[in-house]
Amino acid sequence: MESKKTATGETCAVKANGGKRALPLKHVLSESVLRMNPARLISNPVIFIVEVMFFIVAIMAIAPGLIPAVSSPSQQMFYVYVAIILLFTVWFSTLSDSIAEAQIKATADGLKQIEHEVKARRMDPDRKVTVVSSKALKKDDIVLIQKGDYIPIDCVVLEGIAMVDESLLTGESAPVRKAPTDVLIGGSVLVSDSLIARISADPGDTYLSKLISMVESTKRPKTPNEAAISTLLLGFTAIFTIIIVSILWLSVSLSLGADLSVLIALYVCLLPTTIGALLPAIGISGIRRMSIDRIIAKSGKAIETAGDTDVVLLDKTGTITLGSRTATEFIPLGGHSAKEMGEASFMSSWYDDTPEGRSIIALAYSLGFVPKEFHSISRAEAMEFSAVTRTSSVRLGRPNVFMLPKGGKGMLQRSRISKKYQTGKSSDDLNISKGAPDAIAQSARALPEGFDEKVSGISSAGETAMAVAVDGEIIGLIRLKDQLKQGIKAKIEAVKVMGIKPIMITGDQPLTAKSIASEVGIEEFVSKAKPETKIEVVKREQAAGRIVAMVGDGTNDAPALAAADAGLAMGSGTIAAKEAANMVDLESDPSKIIQVIMLGKQLLMTRGAITTFSISNDVAKYFAIVPVMFSALPVLGRVNVLGLPPSVTVLAALIFNALIIPALIPLATRGVRLKPRSTMSIFLKNMVTYGVGGVILPFIGIEAIGLLIKAL
Amino acid sequence: MSALPYAVWLVFIFAAVIASSWLLSAYLFAVYTGRKGRLDRLFDPIDNFIYKVIRADPSKQMTGGEYFLALLGFSALAAALCFIILVAQGYLPLNPQHFPGLAWDLALHTALSFATNTDLQHYAGETTLSYFSQAAAIQFLQFASAAIGMCVAVAVFRGFSGKFSGIGNFYYDFVRSITRILLPASLVAAIVLVALGLPQSLGGYVTANTIGGGAQTLDIGPVASLVSIMQLGTNGGGYYGANSASPYQNPSPLTNWLEIGLMLLIETSMPFLFGRMVGNKREGHMLLIAAYAIYGINLVVAFVNLAPFGPGIEARLGAFSSIVWTVTATSTMTGSLNAALSAFNPVVIIAALMGMFIQAAPGGIGGGVMYLLMYVVIAVFIVGLMAGRTPEYLGAKILPNDVKRAVIAFVSHPILILIPLALAFSTGAAAVAGAGSIPNGFTKVLYEFTSAAANNGSDFLGTAGNTLFFNISTSIVVLLGRFIPMAVMLAIADSMLKRTRSSQGGGLRTDNLLFAGILVVSILILVVLTFLPFIILGPVLSLLQGYNGI
Amino acid sequence: MDALEPIKTPLLLAIVTLLVCGLAYPILVTIIAGVAFPFQANGEQVVMNGTVVGSYLVAQEFNSSIFLHPEPDNFSASGVDPTVTLAYAYSQVPRISNATGLPQSLLDGVISNQSEYTLFFFGSRYVNVVDTNLYLIKNYPSIYSKHVN
Repeated sequence: MESKKTATGETCAVKANGGKRALPLKHVLSESVLRMNPARLISNPVIFIVEVMFFIVAIMAIAPGLIPAVSSPSQQMFYVYVAIILLFTVWFSTLSDSIAEAQIKATADGLKQIEHEVKARRMDPDRKVTVVSSKALKKDDIVLIQKGDYIPIDCVVLEGIAMVDESLLTGESAPVRKAPTDVLIGGSVLVSDSLIARISADPGDTYLSKLISMVESTKRPKTPNEAAISTLLLGFTAIFTIIIVSILWLSVSLSLGADLSVLIALYVCLLPTTIGALLPAIGISGIRRMSIDRIIAKSGKAIETAGDTDVVLLDKTGTITLGSRTATEFIPLGGHSAKEMGEASFMSSWYDDTPEGRSIIALAYSLGFVPKEFHSISRAEAMEFSAVTRTSSVRLGRPNVFMLPKGGKGMLQRSRISKKYQTGKSSDDLNISKGAPDAIAQSARALPEGFDEKVSGISSAGETAMAVAVDGEIIGLIRLKDQLKQGIKAKIEAVKVMGIKPIMITGDQPLTAKSIASEVGIEEFVSKAKPETKIEVVKREQAAGRIVAMVGDGTNDAPALAAADAGLAMGSGTIAAKEAANMVDLESDPSKIIQVIMLGKQLLMTRGAITTFSISNDVAKYFAIVPVMFSALPVLGRVNVLGLPPSVTVLAALIFNALIIPALIPLATRGVRLKPRSTMSIFLKNMVTYGVGGVILPFIGIEAIGLLIKAL
Repeated sequence: MSALPYAVWLVFIFAAVIASSWLLSAYLFAVYTGRKGRLDRLFDPIDNFIYKVIRADPSKQMTGGEYFLALLGFSALAAALCFIILVAQGYLPLNPQHFPGLAWDLALHTALSFATNTDLQHYAGETTLSYFSQAAAIQFLQFASAAIGMCVAVAVFRGFSGKFSGIGNFYYDFVRSITRILLPASLVAAIVLVALGLPQSLGGYVTANTIGGGAQTLDIGPVASLVSIMQLGTNGGGYYGANSASPYQNPSPLTNWLEIGLMLLIETSMPFLFGRMVGNKREGHMLLIAAYAIYGINLVVAFVNLAPFGPGIEARLGAFSSIVWTVTATSTMTGSLNAALSAFNPVVIIAALMGMFIQAAPGGIGGGVMYLLMYVVIAVFIVGLMAGRTPEYLGAKILPNDVKRAVIAFVSHPILILIPLALAFSTGAAAVAGAGSIPNGFTKVLYEFTSAAANNGSDFLGTAGNTLFFNISTSIVVLLGRFIPMAVMLAIADSMLKRTRSSQGGGLRTDNLLFAGILVVSILILVVLTFLPFIILGPVLSLLQGYNGI
Repeated sequence: MDALEPIKTPLLLAIVTLLVCGLAYPILVTIIAGVAFPFQANGEQVVMNGTVVGSYLVAQEFNSSIFLHPEPDNFSASGVDPTVTLAYAYSQVPRISNATGLPQSLLDGVISNQSEYTLFFFGSRYVNVVDTNLYLIKNYPSIYSKHVN
């Protein structure tokens, strides 16, 4: 896993709390013992069989002469040892389950803290306010939320505009502006103004609590691959059962002198106990690791599917770029000076509250292009951006005495200025308009020299040009640059290395889109995207037999999120999007889809690696035990590669078999290490580590344990 | 003596076989996909006449279930016809030696054994069966069971491929397998074999007054026509009790190597056919490489210990050819023998057992490639997990149900071998057949049930196996060993047929040497894990004890 | 015949296959073989003085010590292997020489000439007993004729 980016200190603390909370040791221990109840174990057939074998050997230990053909009283102590080791084998398995579940419980508790009980101001229909506990609220109640209040439960804004801090939920430190019809998530904090909102869910039924209960639920259906592994393990169990029964049968018929306890030891060693014991823990831990990253998966299958992704749809804005274009240069044209151009831009942007607009003011300010007319600006008439003309403009009138606040950050205060401030029109009014070059060009009297070349030059560099005209004369261009998100290039590279095709979706012009795409290394992109483009791309890729992952936040995205194989909704997005997606990122970081894909792969690999390891182990265990199994066939001792006495070999193999379970618990809960590599090299690395290693390790382990036993 | 010329010789033989199989596969592709060809003018009227007589609509697509029931019903009825012929032999024509009908249990065992392409023989043909029985019962079932193997393979290919609208029609596949492939090929092979010395006569046995003054019976009959289909169809049931050790079945080194080629020919062409049918020849090449790699490993195992042999090698064939034959016959599920198994060092027995445990290297006609695909499903599944992707084969996701079915097919094999093995010893039935002890008797009984479960027919008990216990137990084993895997693999094919295919964007490729290697290792590990203790109690123990004659 | 309806097609197919593969095919091979290769098709019979005295492909007893002997019964897998290993053939030379008076070098030469390789040009060598004895009978009639009936 890549190291996670950290947000604010506050958020970090909560995360650490959720992820690394100390486990309740006592509870884990008692739970692990309780789980050894055969009735509870039966859901894990392999471990259940081990427990049955324990009971058989325990009986042999108590009454060693009971079945004379396959046991002998002189071996009583040996039976006691075997029984004890078998019991530990079962316990190690239940322990790993208990640890995994305790960990996920701790994670869920951490998430739940967000939504604690608070006081809420309930409003009667006659607008009378009563303070009640948030637990007492019901769906459709109206609440008043004032500055500093926690949002009691999920609700929808009815009146007012205010800033809400959702950092606890999303990790995004900047407060979010909320206006009527926006959704408020329980647990976030109102940091300005006040709102009246309608409760959209009953307590305990909020979106967050539903998600958290999903995390906690241990009765998750098996994912397809878990089901397939279980089948494979059952197949191996069947084979080894037949083998052991046949050997027992033959040994009795042919007087080969195999002891039942030794056969049971071989049986338990051969059974895929390692993967059998750890399989439940791997799945639980996967969901937990997602939760630590603040991603809630609605099912284990969703994570698994994400791991299979062939194509990932990435929004340019918000995922690849920061989402706000920044002005970087004023390009004067037609003989105008940079200062003229900068001042005109300044004024044209005064009422432009978009990030672009702010960045233009900031650039002009930093270059000292503050126009002398700016004191008349408060009387200016603003024509907001029109979709028809694709321009915005200001019409300046008489001078005014408005002053910019000191400190150079005056533009941040502009939102306080009423945009409705009107001035009377007069003939000496100055009309400054700003907009897309082609739109401005349409209304311009003439095009300055080099206009088209400059515009296309900017576009092909992946940047955006904006033209500025004063009274219909184009005086220059503003160069706006898309800011790439930090680390996005590396993430896209990782995606590509894993054989996944990223497709960038953007509303930009093809040239701009192409430039951004090639800057981050994306070959395929869809430009001039419309809201329905995403679903079209999802369907198209699926029709070509590919597994598609995508991120979405708006209601527009809901159909595509539902259609995509792996859909990750942003926690800050609409409920519709969150319901359509099969995963939700509370931190609302769209590039986390890549983390989800990695985690899906990691889960499969962890299962595959431990399965392979388990099966590879069997080869060594066979070669250890079979040569010493038949007391009537001492000649087989010639192939006893370990050279240990029979009883020592059997005990050593059993102990190795038991110890490998707790030894692998960290691997199961943490997952196999995964670096972004090609599928092939991931496979080869795992095959060598867990396949070849799985054959060699037991030889060394059994020999070492055997020598230790002998020394004792 | 240097091993080099022998290795070169084998490479030459395999190269010749693979080249012929590659050529054959193009023809097989045309036959099974109905591609038009010049030979249609000859075969179409024959086929259409047969469809009309049997009242079948060859264009109707069958489901996996229908396909299986059709071949099961046909096999049952064909076995019944054979059973009737064997029991009623004394009343039927072409019986110059006046052999009486067979006992019911031997007749049943023989009918089921041949109907399942196993060909275990608890009798010696030249002293038991009339010409009519050798032809109408034995040769008939040898054609029929071989054709069924090919049909199932092709149906499974269609399902795996995803490029076909259905898995096909059994009657279409069967009739074309017989008329366009097996009959013409057997006819040519039989004539060549006659030219090389095999008898082909219906004129009765010949009595000779020998030079030394004694009388000798020359038991000639329709031998060549039987031997050609027996090897081509990986049947292995011979005309004579001594099978291919008999000089009339295998008179010279030339016939020996030609017959080795015949055993390998069709099953070697099957992976090529698979590649053509799935639209990526490399997929087929990798299956073939995996199969031949394991076959090669079996051969190497058979030669790791060159210690002296017991008696039972034909001087005209020599030890080298006999070992290669034995490994080939057990690796291809032919099961015919050209030497006494007791003549071999235990390592040869280990190699032979490995061939029959694996069943896919290259395996029996049609069946081998079917088992190979079973292993592929399991291997692809594990590989997919290790690579962090839901496993895919040929673009189709491997679902839990596929794994379940493949596991059923795989697990059925040890069950069918080990349970009767344990039964044979616990009931004392093994002792009756003169095989009651560890390790020699154990090896023989293990070999018998392994051969039965693998539908191989290679025989270590011989006529000693003609007891009620062995006749009945091996009859059950050959039936289940044949039809469980077929049913299961047809079910997988059926469910894969319409499965959405991905374009294999980031998946692991299955058409490269790495995958072939993974497949080989997976197969060997699976088989070793399953059978190691029993190999140890049998041939390995013989080896350790100095193998004083198995 | 309604009860037979579901199995009619498989039954008819079985009967057709039996007729075609089980009867027509072996008869066709027999006819072609009998015309094209009558000697081989009838088991490579050895005919002396109009009577069948055996087959080149089947071992037969040669009791007299003047002949090359096949391996004892059941030494080979078939029990009727018409060939012996070169070593086994050479080991009989002193006995045959004693009984016939033919020099050992001559007999060694005959056996060597008669021998063939199991792998055409390498591998172990073998000798056809019937062939070799017939060669001796033909070339040394004075010694062998009285033993041939």
